[in-house]
Amino acid sequence: MGDLVVLLKPALNPEMIRGTGEGLVDFDYMPLKLSDIDRNAVEEAVRLKNTYFKDSKIWSISVVTWGPVTKRDKDVRMAVQEGLAKGVDEAIIVADDSGVPGDPVTTASAIVAAIKKFNISPTLILGGEATIDGFSGQVTGRVAAKLDLPYISFARKIDIVDGSRIRAERDVEDYVDVVEAPLPAVVSVTREINAPRPPTLIQIRMASKKPQHVVKFNDLADVVKPKRRLVEARVLAVKRKQIIVEGKTPEEIADKLIDALISEGAIRV
Amino acid sequence: MTAIVVGEKEDDIAEALTVARQAGDVAVLAFGDSSPQALAEYGHKVYHLTASDPESVFTALRKLYDDLKPLLVVAPTTKNLKDALSRLAGIYDIPMATEVYDVKVGQGSVSYRRGFLSGRAIESDEAPMPAVLLLAAHKNPKASKAGQKAEVVELQTAQGRVKSVERMPKQKGGTNIEAAEIIVSAGRGFRSKEDLKLAFDLADVLGAQIGCSRPIAADLKWLSEDHWVGLSGHKVAPKLYIAIGISGAPQHLAGITDAKLVVAINNDKSAPIFKNCDYGVVADLYQFVPLLTKRLKERLKR
Ligand SMILES: Cc1cc2nc3c(=O)[nH]c(=O)nc-3n(C[C@H](O)[C@H](O)[C@H](O)COP(=O)(O)OP(=O)(O)OC[C@H]3O[C@@H](n4cnc5c(N)ncnc54)[C@H](O)[C@@H]3O)c2cc1C
Repeated sequence: MGDLVVLLKPALNPEMIRGTGEGLVDFDYMPLKLSDIDRNAVEEAVRLKNTYFKDSKIWSISVVTWGPVTKRDKDVRMAVQEGLAKGVDEAIIVADDSGVPGDPVTTASAIVAAIKKFNISPTLILGGEATIDGFSGQVTGRVAAKLDLPYISFARKIDIVDGSRIRAERDVEDYVDVVEAPLPAVVSVTREINAPRPPTLIQIRMASKKPQHVVKFNDLADVVKPKRRLVEARVLAVKRKQIIVEGKTPEEIADKLIDALISEGAIRV
Repeated sequence: MTAIVVGEKEDDIAEALTVARQAGDVAVLAFGDSSPQALAEYGHKVYHLTASDPESVFTALRKLYDDLKPLLVVAPTTKNLKDALSRLAGIYDIPMATEVYDVKVGQGSVSYRRGFLSGRAIESDEAPMPAVLLLAAHKNPKASKAGQKAEVVELQTAQGRVKSVERMPKQKGGTNIEAAEIIVSAGRGFRSKEDLKLAFDLADVLGAQIGCSRPIAADLKWLSEDHWVGLSGHKVAPKLYIAIGISGAPQHLAGITDAKLVVAINNDKSAPIFKNCDYGVVADLYQFVPLLTKRLKERLKR
């Protein structure tokens, strides 16, 4: 029986966005955190291990895509620690200043290289359907293609059949497809697949004792350097009027609001 | 120079063609329910695949890609195409981006813009070609048809490893929220499914469609997913958006950046939605919404 791999991205936290004087995203100010949907992926990996793969180990792989790497170290450790506390057994961190700002081309090739470097033979590789910073949802598909494994995207439910096949519900726009594929396979999960539980204090304490490996591109084979160039990132400033409609009675407020909507041309009398 | 356009719906393909034509010759890979004869009227050779699952689309596209060696692959942003095209991008280690617009094809590279940081920022990127671009919907004009109808080639579906066992169509509320002029949108401030009637009544007087935040569709399932507005739901562009009992999380706001006028009704005056609306009413929705509906009825004489 092989192992489970879960992909955990330390992503820029969009809630902490700040602009520079010129309205550009102030990357230096923004902290990283474990991308929300990756939390669902670990939760699912732990559930699958407990239900079907008791003897398997759960590995996590995190590729640092925002730099400079030394400055991000604390945030990256926190994100990885969260995975370990939730049930990951051993963590790999790929951090290299020539890989920032990242590109999914680089991330996917680094993940595949890490799997090879640590001689992992995965039964299942799980990741979130997209990350909260880039939100393009392509890393899992790239990894599947590079490893020539079956790929199931947007899974909102996963079961293992006869220990050798995965059955999943793919949640796409107009329908849900129940699909089956032979293991090993790569899966991306949606936020609806489970409700992640916060780790307990004991789990958090145990986490720091688990093995963590930090590697650079030079330690790995065939990592592709970023190709896409981030020319500019600008804070989106949607200017709204922010007028609070007030009045002595609710009726008066309703009428003032209706007056405003009419004068804006939003509704017609 | 060549480009491949991949898609199922004619409107999506027509938008992608506008972008792809910048690269020169175009071939179209149409799959699933698309009608290849109608698509051939755009003047580009159409390869048609009956299957619509991502693995079949990937396998067909890969073969076409190897034959044509295009500089660009252009498609709409859909979940199945994210799946199929990320595999192609992975095989060849080529750049891929989703939800892109303002695409400009240059010498050896392509530039574009897209939403970033859960919709709170816009990134401008430049990527070397070949590259894979999945377009944001309705941000590109549709291409016009050509005088001459092009050839149609039927492709065979290869046997894949991911097999569909059952397809369950999703329940639909019958809305086309992306095209709505006025939207009344409900959030977690509503305490039960029955209470949504307050929003429906208001929508009735306004001739509005019903939208909602993620929890209402995804967790509580009080409304079908075609009502879901936001980063992972639908992006809307109405004249008027009325957010009721919605806190204004960035992922929700990401869906309404193109709304002309935003009204918020919320009983928490510190809710972020008030910083992101044009007109705000700090009130209990259970009291205010019925009253607003009543006054609108009287004044609009409906
Ligand atoms: C990757 C990712 C993607 C996401 N995608 C989306 C998305 O596409 N769309 C989306 O909406 N969310 C999305 N979310 C979730 C988002 O972060 C918020 O959790 C969600 O938008 C909150 O919904 P809400 O405003 O209805 O609920 P809440 O945040 O719980 O807000 C409820 C509001 O109702 C108000 N309220 C309560 N009672 C009353 C009353 N009686 N009268 C008036 N007001 C009242 C409260 O003051 C509060 O402000 C996503 C999150 C992540 C991490």
